[in-house]
Amino acid sequence: MARTPPPNDDARLELLQGTLDMLILRTLQWGPQHGHGIGQAIRQQSDDLLKVETGSLYPALHRLEKRGWLQAEWGVSEANQRAKYYRLTAAGKAQLSREQNRWSLLVNAIGRIMNPAPTPGEE
Amino acid sequence: MRPDDREIDDEIRGHLALSVKERIERGEDPEAARLAALREFGYIPAARESIRRVWHSRWLDALAALVHDMRIGLRSLLRSPGLAITVVVTLALGIGANAAIFSVVRGVLLRPLVNRDESHLIYIRQSAPTAGRENMTFSVPEYRDLTGRVSAIATFSSFSTTDLTMSGLGGEPRIVKAGVVGGSFFDVMGLRPIFGRLLGPGDDGKDAAGAAVLTYRFWTALGSDPSVVGRTVRLGARMATIVGVLEPSVPYPADTEIIANLVTSPHHLSATMEDDRTHRMTEMFGRLTPGVTLEQARAELAAAHAAIVKDHPDAYPGGMNAQITVRLLRDQIASPARTILIVLLAAAAVVFVIACSNVANLILARSMRREGELAVRAALGASRGALRRTLLAESLVLCGAGAALGVLLARPFIAAVARYAARFSVRALDVTVDASVLWVGAGLALAAAVLLAYVPRLPEGIGVIIAAGRVTATTTRRLRIFAMAQIALSFVLLAGAGMLLATLVSQQHAATGYDTRQVIAFDIPPAAAGVGGAKAVDFFKETMRRVTELPGVEAAAIGSIVPWRDAGLLGGPMPFTVEGYQPVNGEESPRAYMRLVSPKFFTVVGVQLRAGRDFSDEDRAGSDAVGIVSESVARRLFSDTDILHRRVRFTDPYLRKLSMRIVGVVADVDDEHVVPQAVMTVYIPVLQMQYGNRLFVRAAGDPYALVPGVTRVVRAIAPDQPVERAATLADVRAEVLSPERVNAFVFSGFAGVALMIAAVGVAGVLAFSVSARTREFGVRMAVGSSPARLLGRVLSEGVAIAAFGIAAGAAGGYGLARIAAVVFDQVEMPGAFPVIAAAAVLAAAAALASLMPAARAARVDVIQALRSE
Repeated sequence: MARTPPPNDDARLELLQGTLDMLILRTLQWGPQHGHGIGQAIRQQSDDLLKVETGSLYPALHRLEKRGWLQAEWGVSEANQRAKYYRLTAAGKAQLSREQNRWSLLVNAIGRIMNPAPTPGEE
Repeated sequence: MRPDDREIDDEIRGHLALSVKERIERGEDPEAARLAALREFGYIPAARESIRRVWHSRWLDALAALVHDMRIGLRSLLRSPGLAITVVVTLALGIGANAAIFSVVRGVLLRPLVNRDESHLIYIRQSAPTAGRENMTFSVPEYRDLTGRVSAIATFSSFSTTDLTMSGLGGEPRIVKAGVVGGSFFDVMGLRPIFGRLLGPGDDGKDAAGAAVLTYRFWTALGSDPSVVGRTVRLGARMATIVGVLEPSVPYPADTEIIANLVTSPHHLSATMEDDRTHRMTEMFGRLTPGVTLEQARAELAAAHAAIVKDHPDAYPGGMNAQITVRLLRDQIASPARTILIVLLAAAAVVFVIACSNVANLILARSMRREGELAVRAALGASRGALRRTLLAESLVLCGAGAALGVLLARPFIAAVARYAARFSVRALDVTVDASVLWVGAGLALAAAVLLAYVPRLPEGIGVIIAAGRVTATTTRRLRIFAMAQIALSFVLLAGAGMLLATLVSQQHAATGYDTRQVIAFDIPPAAAGVGGAKAVDFFKETMRRVTELPGVEAAAIGSIVPWRDAGLLGGPMPFTVEGYQPVNGEESPRAYMRLVSPKFFTVVGVQLRAGRDFSDEDRAGSDAVGIVSESVARRLFSDTDILHRRVRFTDPYLRKLSMRIVGVVADVDDEHVVPQAVMTVYIPVLQMQYGNRLFVRAAGDPYALVPGVTRVVRAIAPDQPVERAATLADVRAEVLSPERVNAFVFSGFAGVALMIAAVGVAGVLAFSVSARTREFGVRMAVGSSPARLLGRVLSEGVAIAAFGIAAGAAGGYGLARIAAVVFDQVEMPGAFPVIAAAAVLAAAAALASLMPAARAARVDVIQALRSE
């Protein structure tokens, strides 16, 4: 796959495996959005630290739709073009809260390993 | 909702438009913005593909890949069309034969009858196997007793066949095969008319009007005229109205042309028919009472029959062990064809296996040449699955093409097999080509394709690249084993075909005792006007006299059966006794056939008079009853010809009053069996019994040249008299033998195909082995081997394959025959001659097939061979 490095690439972060789905679901909590909008939202809300490759964004959207967590409908975008808008379903909301819990646990656990609280008696 | 490709593209386009718009709003030049957006998006087909992949299962993807591989496979196969054509044709033969025979098996053995509710329709038969009576039918008193005692069968019906002379429909008077039935017949059979009505209870009894129904086949033969309904015809001595036309249906037990009620046959109303318990000519059908199983009906009928036999011992003389069999009509109709069809199916399956193993060989040889290619692909990261898929794709292309051609071949083949099977079961006549052929073809092709894809070895890792192109010992061994398997299977088929041919030859060359070439026989059934009596005798005498006067006629005589063609017409041999004969204690009474013949009959057919005299015109009604016996009667009972003037008498209750003085002894002939057996015959005079129905004429020249003259003469004496089925005894015999001939022919066809495939297989294996060993041969030549020795070497390899194959085939065939003996009643083992001949043919074919590769080995150019690697 041809892949052009975006400008000032060094500051960008690679998305952790499995987190893209969660970010998409989270973004759609504020209302239906098309793929381009979702990508932009993730980028803006992460202060340009996270950039989602279209090559992984769209398959992820379709995967979530197939699982029933998103529902898609056709609308007209700001560019006056036919665009596919994705909306969170009830099942999607439930999935989001599950992933959010798991994520907190994971961050917590990794944090403990990476920044252990100094225990008395050591050093 | 699964998006289609257009929707996916729309979504991508929408994304790009937004991206461009955003960049332009940021102040970028529109063209630069467009390029940047595209660049940012990445490779569009890849994105499209990964979106598609979300929705489409792996199976679909695999299928798509397979189709892709098949396209490539087709291209690579077309590069070696010789191999592809051989494979396709070989497979087509195997698949076509199987599909065709399966169609016929399905049509004859498995398809339900058109009769309403046919799973309740049964056929009941009385037989006495120990007395040689396969079907002794029922007498009317037996029929009455059975129907009265059984409740498992809701309705019974009777059916008997008779030849009637019909006039008033379709031109000249002619003999029709008629079924005479009771009023319940069509209700029991569950058949409908296509015009008019069928016969019902109102047509029963002595006072009903004559009524007849035409069978569909006869109606179409008469020109499919609906206006025949309502016409009046003369049937024998009575008149009958055609009341309807029967729908197309399977005729059983006889292929009749017309089905009439009882009053049309005076014989059916006679006291003999009604009261004589041994006067058997009725077939019996029934419809099971709802809720009753076939087993229950069978048990009840068997018990009732046993009781009837016990009550009337006189009607079953000589320890005649009469039995009753009850089967579904469908099974009864199929049963004669079952064995032959199963044998054919097995033969076809063997051809298919041979074809597959041959194709496996060719593919194996080809894939060994491609081992390099496969190894490179493996090294480049193709998974084993992907390699297997490539092979599967190729074999699918081959087998698919083979199946397509096979199904095309099946169409004419079905027609041929159906015509052949029709000799055993009338149902084969309406076997048609239908979708089942396609399914069988596709199924076989798929099975073959999967099998073949797993034949070649896959390269193991990268190491193989180095070894690629060299043939390993295991693979050549595999090739040889396939070739041997083909030879072995072909041997079984060839030996079987050889056995049938040997039987046929022995039958055709068996001495019959008749002068078959110069004798022509005619059917002259009793005409409407003169049934028996003095009138018949006058007709016979006048006919013989005037036919003899015709130019080219040496002699003419009247008889009662045409040898072989009328086998069984007068029943089996009957117990008899001769004055002065003392049976040894416990010995069964001797049995003899009874025949009615006129004076000069023996002269006409060429049977020698051994002692005494021939019948003469003086042996007439009222004079001393006389008889002539065959030589074996004299020899078996009295060990010489001292039998003249003793009295002979049949002990059958029907004939026991008749006691004949023996006036002559003639040479033995067997007019029942095509291969003469030791039978005894007692001849009695036509003129004395006042009954005869066959005319025999001895010709000086071409017998068939006499037919118009004879017909004219007979018609001049009795205008209504049918004169039919003229044939020389030689032709009658050939016609009777024709099922055997067709059997041998069909089987030889299979064996021939198998032989051809096997020869191609051996040639292919050797050709491959020679080309793989070019270097070896070069070295051998370089160190002084002569070309002749190399030639001999390769030839002997071919013969060795054949020898091993034949040995395996002989062992396997013997085992197979033992297994078959469990399934079938009688399994014949081929004699030594067919086995040796089959082995010789195969060995010769293998040697011939090896010749070309061997010649190539002998022509190897030393320098080239050594340089080639």
